Amino acid sequence: MSNPEFNVPNINPKTVLIVIAIMITVIFGRTVFYTVEPDEEAVIIRLGRYMQTTAPGFHFKIPFGVDKVIKVKSKRVLQEEFGFRTTNTSTRRTTYSSGEHDGESLMLTGDLNVADVEWVVQYQISDPFKFLFQTEAPRRNIRDVSESIMRRVVGDRYVTEVLTTGRVEIATEAQKLMQDVLNKYDMGVKIVTVKLQDVNPPEVVKPSFNEVNEAKQEQEKVINQAEEAYNKVIPEARGKAEKLISEAEGLAEALVNRAKGDTAKFNEVLKEYKRAPTITKKRIYIETMETIFKNFDDLTIVDSKIKGILPVFSEKGVTDASK
Amino acid sequence: MQVNKLAILPVLILALIIVTFSSAFVVDEGRQAIITEFGKPIGAPITEAGLHFKLPFLQEARYVDKRILSWDGFPNQIPTKDKKYIKVDTTARFKIINALKFIQTVRNTSGAKARLDAILDSATRDVISNQNLVEAVRNSNAIIDKIAERERELKDRKAKGEPVLEEEVTGSIDEIQVGRENLSTMIAEVADKELRNLGIQLIDVQLRRISYEESVERKVYERMISERQRIAQKIRSIGQGEKAKIEGRLTRDLQKIDSEAYKDAEKIKGKGEAIAVGIYAKSFAKDPSFFEFLRTMDAYKNSMTAKTKMLFSTESEFLRYFKTVK
Repeated sequence: MSNPEFNVPNINPKTVLIVIAIMITVIFGRTVFYTVEPDEEAVIIRLGRYMQTTAPGFHFKIPFGVDKVIKVKSKRVLQEEFGFRTTNTSTRRTTYSSGEHDGESLMLTGDLNVADVEWVVQYQISDPFKFLFQTEAPRRNIRDVSESIMRRVVGDRYVTEVLTTGRVEIATEAQKLMQDVLNKYDMGVKIVTVKLQDVNPPEVVKPSFNEVNEAKQEQEKVINQAEEAYNKVIPEARGKAEKLISEAEGLAEALVNRAKGDTAKFNEVLKEYKRAPTITKKRIYIETMETIFKNFDDLTIVDSKIKGILPVFSEKGVTDASK
Repeated sequence: MQVNKLAILPVLILALIIVTFSSAFVVDEGRQAIITEFGKPIGAPITEAGLHFKLPFLQEARYVDKRILSWDGFPNQIPTKDKKYIKVDTTARFKIINALKFIQTVRNTSGAKARLDAILDSATRDVISNQNLVEAVRNSNAIIDKIAERERELKDRKAKGEPVLEEEVTGSIDEIQVGRENLSTMIAEVADKELRNLGIQLIDVQLRRISYEESVERKVYERMISERQRIAQKIRSIGQGEKAKIEGRLTRDLQKIDSEAYKDAEKIKGKGEAIAVGIYAKSFAKDPSFFEFLRTMDAYKNSMTAKTKMLFSTESEFLRYFKTVK
């Protein structure tokens, strides 16, 4: 067996057979077996005719082009974007481009204004066979119908509603109407959700919309400032008013009390006076005069009998003279 | 002869294979086939997918689509009945329902699309130009009810005294007679009638986009801008109005508070004084002349200060002993 020229190692013929058998199985196997990934289903076409749809797993088929296997990602939620495109999801922040898709997103509202509405449609293939063979261009149908329906829904609303409060309602209605139309085509698609993204006034009109918002802010600010001024002044005035009244009350009380005091004193004095009127009166008079005269710095006493030159004495002089 | 027989067998087998291959044909899903014999169609179209047979060599299978096909129109500029220039972009879906007619009249899908272009463009033009713009924009008159409701709500809020802004409704809202969906149905009906002659059934027409022609668009934007500016102005002036109201209230309340306080205070003081006067009067009335005397004495004491310059006559009661003791 050994050949000096070709140094072939001594191989067991059985091993060779096994290797060949395995190779045949692998090559043949690839034409007889196929696997369906977890997110797919496979449509089996035998000699042009639809046989069945197979679930994820390992399956047989007839080789040599008799059975054709078309795999469809039916478990996956697919997305169509309108008015913008997701350009990059690999970076940390997803980037979008929207400028060149204005044609898709600019639409007329019911009051003949223009709104820039961006939205996404998420759908699933509910019937892979119908999806493949019912229509020529399923994705295009979804896009066409979605654009048409969105315009119809937005067309029945006024611009402010579209821009502000109507978002959810618009999305819900659009989803329902889209599904109705797609059901009519019977193309095996189920709309999962329709979501409005950015809804804006057209670019050139935007500043004036912002101006309205600014005006609202300004309005609030002006009103608040006025309220603030009011609140600054009025409570203080109320306090001052109360103070004024309290003071008046105090004054009134004081007047009354003083009157009461004065009269009480008078009554007492009167009682004494009545016992000896003349003497008391005189005494009071003299005491009063005494107090007064004691205080005068500049006193002149004139003799009533002397006429002509007025003899003028100071009080001091008088007292000196009397000494 | 033995040799001959052996030679014929492979030839026979080969012939059988050739015959089989030229007589059997596969109709794929989504397709239909028509058998022609020297170009002449034979029998009904085969619409069932699968393996089929025909006469070898003489007959030929021609395939046409069975699926729903899409047509995408070129955006048309169409003037509406109310003389507004708009661009209308339509799409349509159609199906070959009579393969024979289809092959005879348009041969294939691209031929069909060329015919669709002509038929659908003119149908769209006819229908749209006979209607006002709103008919192509709106589908119902729900917006009118909605606006009416909104206005009622605003009125209610106004009645309650809340400050409201009537900024919502701006552009023109006319009642519609036909509506968007009906317009596309009308277009589809008109076109479908003609397309039937080509073996085509029109499934639907969708008005994909309707937009203003550029010069009109600019004017619409200008209008929108001026409307917004008007609204902004109104909002600002409402703000100023509210401010003025508050300022007025401030002055009014301030005056009221101050004057009321003054009024009340004076009243209180007056009452106190009156009571005091009463008390004095009652007490002093017991001996008016003594009161007069006492009060005068007090007054002397209180009114004359050290700095007062005084000139007294010896005639005065207090000083009479200055001259003599009588």
